[in-house]
Amino acid sequence: MTIWAHILREVGFRKLNALFSLLGLTLAVTIVAASQLLAEADERETRRVTRDMGFNLRLIPSKTDLGQFYRDGFSRHAMEATTLDRLATQLTNNVSFNHLVGSLRRDYTINGQDILLAGLSKTFVAPGQGKKPMGFQIKEGTIHIGSEIARSQELKKGDAMHVGVRSFTVANDPIETGTPDDITIFARLDDAQSILGLSGKINEIEAIDCLCLTADEDPLAILRKEIGGILPEVQVVHQRTLADARAKQRQTREKVNAVVLPSVLVAGAVWVALLAVLNVRDRRQEIGILRALGKGGGRIAGLFLGKAVLLGFVAAALGVALGTWVVLEFGPSLFPVTKKAIQASSTLAWQLLVATPVFAAFASFIPAMLAVSHDPAETLRED
Amino acid sequence: MIRCDDVTKTFRKNGAEVVSLDRFTAEIAEGEFVAVRGPSGSGKTTLLLTLGGMQRPSAGAVQFGGRDLYGLPSAERARLRSGEIGFVFQMFHLVPYLDLLGNVLLAAPGRPSDAERERAAGLLDELGLAKRASHRPGELSAGERQRLAVARALLNRPKLILADEPTGNLDPENAAEVIRHLAAFHRDGGTVVLVTHGTAADEHAGRIVRLEQGRLVAD
Repeated sequence: MTIWAHILREVGFRKLNALFSLLGLTLAVTIVAASQLLAEADERETRRVTRDMGFNLRLIPSKTDLGQFYRDGFSRHAMEATTLDRLATQLTNNVSFNHLVGSLRRDYTINGQDILLAGLSKTFVAPGQGKKPMGFQIKEGTIHIGSEIARSQELKKGDAMHVGVRSFTVANDPIETGTPDDITIFARLDDAQSILGLSGKINEIEAIDCLCLTADEDPLAILRKEIGGILPEVQVVHQRTLADARAKQRQTREKVNAVVLPSVLVAGAVWVALLAVLNVRDRRQEIGILRALGKGGGRIAGLFLGKAVLLGFVAAALGVALGTWVVLEFGPSLFPVTKKAIQASSTLAWQLLVATPVFAAFASFIPAMLAVSHDPAETLRED
Repeated sequence: MIRCDDVTKTFRKNGAEVVSLDRFTAEIAEGEFVAVRGPSGSGKTTLLLTLGGMQRPSAGAVQFGGRDLYGLPSAERARLRSGEIGFVFQMFHLVPYLDLLGNVLLAAPGRPSDAERERAAGLLDELGLAKRASHRPGELSAGERQRLAVARALLNRPKLILADEPTGNLDPENAAEVIRHLAAFHRDGGTVVLVTHGTAADEHAGRIVRLEQGRLVAD
């Protein structure tokens, strides 16, 4: 009889022990699978929400009067667009900023309406992090307009709009935001430079800081030191409220993961190990007779470890299916903004299908060794 | 076939040292049928497990077929047990989730061959269990269970059968049936060491050994 046939018959005989092991492991896999999928969904939601909150780091020409900057919302001074390129070349995992966008903002009048014109460069992201650029990309020949401009100029998505001497297509459905964006036209940077006659100029670099509420150091001091070393001609404005909100959300997620996952793994391992110990106790006479029949320690350990692997595999399949179902069912109400991106993960499924049997075998290792080291003479002499 | 020289086995029980086998010396020749008698706690089971390579003595030596049994590596000793020794216990020690055929084939050293399957089926037939081959031990009477244990012990054509009170849980009729099968094995040239309280095996045993407090008092 093969070892697997032997294991299957034992599982069929001691159904309750196998069932409880399976339940414990399935529950653990369900929690791990669901928490991983939820963590990914949470990451997406956070990214999206913080993206919508905007950049929290603003680098403006050093000559800028902050009074004027806060009053107008942009600097009246300009700097070379190459400043952005210089900073972008320093983007690595070792700096505390990311998602760089160069912009040129000025007040502008169009058809008698005072508005803001903002030109946006493409976004530069630190390489190798797999992060998608924040902010929206403006396609060639298009602009995005604020709701107040759309209302005054009677424009909607797809309409043509003349800005300066050029005609653009409105690419967005203007929605009222209650911010200066409602009176802003967003164009590609080179288009805005051309319209404003400021070729090769920007007046701000927007970015996201990567510092997460360092308790012992002032994040602004770190950022000023880092950026000042690269670009001495800029001053750093840090929007602390946005930065803190972003950092707090990320920290909360990390804390939850740091507590939930290890707890589930430890509880699962203890549960499986206890049931395996009970199984070994139940099978002491069987172990004794197997020894008397000349079976070695490898075969006896194999019976227990093989059982753990088998149950681990079945539990992984059930747990992945259950965890995925839970997330697909309840995830959309938890993460409404990015609900369409919530989906099953085949990578996670494969990882758990491999890891769970290994985990179960590890949890059963000590009981299996107890079985191997058990003195068969002791049980065989029992009446 | 088996030679014991000053074999002693001591245990610790409740902090005190208990001598289970005390300088036991004897030789059992191939083809003998030896009955081992003695009161409870006299060391009969200890002797049987020691002869079978299942329990290392505290002192002394056991030779099996000229080899120092406990000088062998444990894997080699396990191979010897599998190939040359069959065990029958009072409590049967059957595997409850395997059917009768599975229990007999458990004694096969590796994955059972067709020849081993055939022999297992033949033994079940010989022992009157063929019709119940697909049943589990829990569905058998005590006598049937012990006959199954005998079939398992015989599968590998052992040279020696060590039987520990195999009739202790059986009615006289079933006890006689089990003894008959052991006697048949003996008639075919096998060696039997039978631990017993009763006298059912007396007509077959060529030698009766008596133990008291771990010591050989009569042979």
